[in-house]
This record gives sequence, C-alpha cells and structure tokens, in this order.
Amino acid sequence: MATIVTITEEKALEVKDFEFTYASADAPSIKKLTMPVAKNSITALIGPSGCGKTTLLRSFNRMHDLYSGNQYSGEIIFKGRNILTAKEDLISLRIQIGMIFQKPTAFPMSIFDNVAYGMRLQGIKNKTELQGRVEKALQDAALWNEVKDRLKHDANGLSGGQQQRLCIARAVAVEPEVLLFDEPTSALDPISTAGIEELIVELKNRVSIIIVTHNMQQAARVSDYTGFMYLGELIELGLTEEMFVTPKEKLTEEYITGKFG
Amino acid sequence: MSILIDKLFSYATKFVAIAVLLLVAWIFTILFQNSIDSIEAFGFDFLTETKWAPNLEKFGALPAIYGSVVSTFLAMVLAVPLAIGVAIFLSELAPAKLKSPVGVSIELLAAIPSVIYGMWGLFYFVPIVRDIFGGIGISMLTAGIVLSIMILPFMAAVTRDAMNTTPDILKESAYALGGTKWDVIKDIIIPYAKAGIIGSFILALGRAIGETMAVTFVMGNVHKISFDLTEPATSIPVTLANEFTEADTSLYYSSLFELSLFLLVISFTIISIAKFYFLRRQRAA
Repeated sequence: MATIVTITEEKALEVKDFEFTYASADAPSIKKLTMPVAKNSITALIGPSGCGKTTLLRSFNRMHDLYSGNQYSGEIIFKGRNILTAKEDLISLRIQIGMIFQKPTAFPMSIFDNVAYGMRLQGIKNKTELQGRVEKALQDAALWNEVKDRLKHDANGLSGGQQQRLCIARAVAVEPEVLLFDEPTSALDPISTAGIEELIVELKNRVSIIIVTHNMQQAARVSDYTGFMYLGELIELGLTEEMFVTPKEKLTEEYITGKFG
Repeated sequence: MSILIDKLFSYATKFVAIAVLLLVAWIFTILFQNSIDSIEAFGFDFLTETKWAPNLEKFGALPAIYGSVVSTFLAMVLAVPLAIGVAIFLSELAPAKLKSPVGVSIELLAAIPSVIYGMWGLFYFVPIVRDIFGGIGISMLTAGIVLSIMILPFMAAVTRDAMNTTPDILKESAYALGGTKWDVIKDIIIPYAKAGIIGSFILALGRAIGETMAVTFVMGNVHKISFDLTEPATSIPVTLANEFTEADTSLYYSSLFELSLFLLVISFTIISIAKFYFLRRQRAA
C-alpha cells in the first residue's frame, strides 16, 4: 500500500480506486490508485517514463474520452460528485479543470483571439467584457507588457516561452478551479522555464494545480505535495519538503537519488 | 573508382532533370510556332470573338473559354462542399473501423480513368439530367456534374490529408477549453490546414479545366455562348479533341493550336499558384 500523507487542507480532487486501461492494452496502465489533491496548492507527479503520471493527469479532465475504447473504473471526486460517470458534462468539466500541454499550443489565430477563445466558446460576445478579461488573463500570465501592442498579430509569431504563457493565459481566462500541467516546460529553455515556474507558484492562490514533470528539481522548486508513481501505482504522496529529504518508501528514495529512472 | 561512379551518377540525373525542362520548352515552342498563323490573322480578337465558323475561316475562342470557365466553376461549386464534408468525416468523425476502408475506396475512385467517367456520364447521367432539368441532356450542366464527380475523390483525399496534419495536441488544447467537436473542426483544424486545403482545390481546378475525356462525351461541342445551362456547349479541350481530324485548312489547324497554347498557359498558371503559394508551407513543415 502506498504511503499517503494526511492532507489538512480542503481537497480539490479525490481519486479513489482508480483504474485505467488503454484501448489497445491488455493490462491497466493505472492500478487501483487512491490519492487526494489539496485545494489551492501544487501537487507534483513524478516517476519514470511510462509510470502512468500523464495518464492519470489526463483522466482529471476526461481527455481519454476523445479516443474510443479506453476504459476506467473507480472514482474521481470533484465538487462532491464522481466525474467518471457517463452523465458527466465533459464541456463544463473541462472549463472547470483546465490543461496546459508539453508543447506550446498557440491556435492559428491572433494573440487576442487565442486568449478569448475559451470565453467565446462559452458564448461571451460582449466586446468590453472580452477585452477586460483578455487583458487580465494576459497580466496574470505575465505576458501583457510584451504583447499589448500586437494583440492582433498571429500568435505563432511569439517565442516558445511566450506561447506557453499565452496558453496559460488562455486557460486562466475561463477561470478554472483546477489547472493540469503536463510537463509544461519540457520544450522550453531554462529562462522561459523559470518564468513558467514562477507563474505556476503565483497561480495557486486562485487554482488548485497538478503538475506532471520529468524534472525532480522542478517538482522540488514549485510543489507543495509530491506524488511518486511507479508502474501505474502511487508509491508515496508526501509534503514536498519532507519527501525529497526523508522519503518513507524505499522505491521513492531510490528514484530521487537517481538509482533508477 | 567509386568517385567516378558518383560523378557519372550525378551527371546522369542532372541530364534527365534538364531533359524534362527541355521537353516542356519544346512543347511550348511547338504550340507557339503552330499558332503563329492564327495569331497573325486574328490577334487579340481571337480571345473575344464569339463566332467559330470553319467554313468562313473565322475562329473565335470565346465560346470555348466560356465553356471551360463555366463547367469548371460548376464543378467546383458542387465538389468543394462535398469534398470538405467527406474530408471532415474521414479525418474527425468516422469510427476507426470505417476510416481506412472508406479512405481507400475514395483513393480508388480518384484512380478511375476519366474516359470511364465520360462513358458513365453519357449513358447514365445524360438521361437523368434530361429528365430532371429538360433539354437534350448533353449540356454544360451535365459536364459540370460529371467533372465535379471526377475531381471530388482527389479533393476529398488531399483535404483529408491536410486536415490530418493538425497536431493532436493542438486539437486537445481546444477540447481542454471546453470545445465541441464542431468547434475544434471549424476553429482549429480548418484554419490550420487552410493552405493545404486551398492548394488542393486549386490543383483540382487545374485538373478540371484541362479535363478532356470526361466532358467530351457529355458536352456536345457546340460553339455557342448560352446562359441556359441545359444547352450543349463546348470547352477548350473538348474542341481540341473533336476538331483536329476535321481541320482541313492551315488557319483552322493553327487556331486549334492557339487554343491549346492558351489552355497550357492557364493550366501552368493555376498549378504554379497552387504549388508555389499554397502548398509550399505544407512542404516545409
């Protein structure tokens, strides 16, 4: 059984006996996983490639439903309900649980339209409201000063780091309660990475954050809680400051000291 | 020794590549040379004259140009929405089990020789058009419909390929913001694949405008400009296919050559626009 630290804060999400099997696979990629996610804090998921951390992350906004044949069981509790049921409204779920991807994914449209996109999907047409919220989101993502004079320009003209901040602005603009980061800095240079990390830490006042990362230093720098996953199971979930110093499980210790991975 | 072989190989390929360019230049020269009589006799009036009267030695290309433009336009108007629909279905909506069989059959349709479309059009489509729209069935409209059916598979297949180049992660980003399938198709996939899609349409346009066999059967080769689409008409390739055997005077012969020169220039222009403007970005990616 996994060693799971007691979380004193309110919980943003609760995973219970969650099991996930990909359409083409014989064995589950995630096995009977139970894990709480604290509200308004940052939970990092670490573990070697193929351990299931991205698979778990993509379960929180039901991304797996885009591809047929994937199977899951167990529960993920969000705002008092199990979001894994068939009657869950995926559109509104994904508005409340946003996601940032491994690579910047600027849409083929202007900077302004990129940030406004999620709001427009919700039917917000009022120009002044859109302008106000786009500006605020860009400020939240620390991008406003760099792009305020060229909001009408194609977003693909921005640098990689700027594009990733644009994606964060776009996700923040719809005011989600949870943000999922899937290795958000793996395609970025060190300076852009530092900028994104700073941003993630600032965001936790307003949203609960789960971040998947390959980079243990990153997990140590930004997160409050760290979960270590191995072969589809959660081995240990602890306070980041404790776990990197005194891991309770032997596997965790071996991983963070670089004995495997 | 091996250096020598490398050199020989490089020269051989260079020669072949240059030979292709020479071939194109040769064709151009021959068309131009043979057109000189007609160019001298009619000048620019050749393109604006509506009479094509071999017995009077009077040749005007406008009816054929009009026929080419209108039949191609009809074909595009009919084929574009269908091609986009088929492509969207194949790239985004079709269940995995359907995707590949339907995709392959569409590619097979694109491989049907155009003469077969022509025969099929004459024997099965002409009566249908006659029954529904009136006239004798051999008409501009029939030509447009047959052309649209002929270019549809190519357009659909290339449009699907262009749509498939949209990275999954980009689509997922839009879904992750609460987008529906339709939102993702219209806001992400189509804008992303736009250049490739337009390029494929222009290539199809080039193919339609030069198409000979499929329309020769169903158009009628009548040199008359009529705004009634159920009337028979002609196009540049249809005229060429029908009349070379009848060209009994050198001016008649030369006029046909000028017509073909004009067609070559149009086709070249269209393909160049498609290749250099729209399909370049896709190639670089």
